[in-house]
Amino acid sequence: MLDLRGYGWMLWQGLELTILVGLGAMALALVLGLIGAWGKLSRARAGRWAAGTYTTVIRGVPELLLILLVYYGVPTLIQDIAEGAGYPFIIDINPFVAGVITIGFIYGAFATEVFRGAFLAVPRGQIEAARAHGMGRALTFRRIVMPQMWRFALPGLGNVWMVLIKATALISVIQLEELMRSADIAARATKLPFTFFFVASLFYLGITIVSMVVQRRAEVWANRGVRRA
Amino acid sequence: MAVAQREDADTALRVAGLCKSFGDLEVLRDVSLAAHEHDVIAILGASGSGKSTLLRCINLLEVPDAGEVHVGGELIRMRRDRRGQAMPADRRQVDRIRARLGMVFQQFNLWSHLTVMQNVIEAPVHVLGLPRREAVDRAHALLEKVGLSDKLDAYPAHLSGGQEQRAAIARALAMEPAVMLFDEPTSALDPELVGEVLKVIRDLAEEGRTMLIVTHEVGFARDVSSRTVFLHEGRIEEEGASRAVLDAPRSPRLKRFLSGERYGTLPLDQSSHNEGRSGP
Ligand SMILES: Nc1ncnc2c1ncn2[C@@H]1O[C@H](COP(=O)(O)OP(=O)(O)OP(=O)(O)O)[C@@H](O)[C@H]1O
Ligand SMILES: [Mg+2]
Repeated sequence: MLDLRGYGWMLWQGLELTILVGLGAMALALVLGLIGAWGKLSRARAGRWAAGTYTTVIRGVPELLLILLVYYGVPTLIQDIAEGAGYPFIIDINPFVAGVITIGFIYGAFATEVFRGAFLAVPRGQIEAARAHGMGRALTFRRIVMPQMWRFALPGLGNVWMVLIKATALISVIQLEELMRSADIAARATKLPFTFFFVASLFYLGITIVSMVVQRRAEVWANRGVRRA
Repeated sequence: MAVAQREDADTALRVAGLCKSFGDLEVLRDVSLAAHEHDVIAILGASGSGKSTLLRCINLLEVPDAGEVHVGGELIRMRRDRRGQAMPADRRQVDRIRARLGMVFQQFNLWSHLTVMQNVIEAPVHVLGLPRREAVDRAHALLEKVGLSDKLDAYPAHLSGGQEQRAAIARALAMEPAVMLFDEPTSALDPELVGEVLKVIRDLAEEGRTMLIVTHEVGFARDVSSRTVFLHEGRIEEEGASRAVLDAPRSPRLKRFLSGERYGTLPLDQSSHNEGRSGP
């Protein structure tokens, strides 16, 4: 058996934190993704422009850089602005919140593309039928489009989640003791890098496997009513 | 066309001076038409003559450029946006009026994530606010009428085309619409499934439902409809009592159309019945 020299508990807590950051970021990514897709598909030019800028920026800037920018850059910027305006104060972003926001913001761009594709995959005729039966836009979206979007979106969202959970390792750079950082601390303290990085890998792998099972179930649910080819 | 302009208490649907263009293409040119209660009006015309567009303008799936649509005496109010484009003045009025017009599409357009029963109760519950209980009772009766009592829990993907179309008819009827609009309800069906759908529509006609039916089935139009309207390039070329118009057409175009349709309904030529909008 692996001897974790008393650091097992710390790793376990790191795992919990990783999952929490992941879930929080995913929730944010879903919200941003829906808004982004709405913008991209909007008839208003401003909406399309804002959403397009968002996804382009995310695609073009390294994730690590974005994390550092949000955690160190944004507070400094705000402080400078506040000071310039004569209201000096110190803001201290909580690393957990910074992690959730940054990761959620990055993967919201990927979710935007997933939702956009899923929306376009819902047959136009079914939307027309809803309108022809007197359903307003919001009702049509909620009752007819959304439930079918999930079917088309789930595979893509599953991917987003798996990449997202691995990307949470990046936020170890902002002192948040999630799984990656806990493993790093333990490895340094015990001089057993292989053991701790190996265990951390197993943990990440475990999350992925559980996620795949959940995704499979969700897809079966979302595909009810679809004839298997 | 004085007949079409008369506004009686029993006018279920009236359109006047309807015009619609897509870009440079004028699809409807000053179309006027009235359906009294219990009228069954067949709309015939070559592919591209504007039949679908006419139905779609009536329930505002397409916004007409000009003209009026009255449903049960209520005018759908229109206004123009800054670019002079016509648009409905009140979206809620449009939704309300659509709820009184039952639309049946060539491609059925059942909601694929819902079972047959759920398809039929969806709009009554969420649009009309009917208690679910009542909606389910209503759906049972309608699905029995269209012969789908054994398919309540089936999803659309598991139905034949004929069953899908009958479910779609039940879905439209569940709103208890004042007027039913059918856009080539049998054109997407295999020939052996056409009969079961036509029978359902025929039963509705016998019940005295007010209906507008776009169809290529001339024989059916002749038997079932009280009046026939023949569209040619977005204009009403000929109209009148169905027997008279179809047995003794006056306009040369309708004559030619009717002699062509006789071949058009042969199973060999199903291609002309499919949706294809991709040109000649
Ligand atoms: N949304 C649209 N945008 C551009 N052109 C359109 C649109 N809808 C219809 N049209 C064109 O308008 C013309 C009339 O179309 P419509 O669908 O009303 O004809 P139809 O009489 O129903 O023909 P069919 O028998 O083939 O169904 C066609 O030339 C068609 O290509
Ligand atoms: Mg058509």
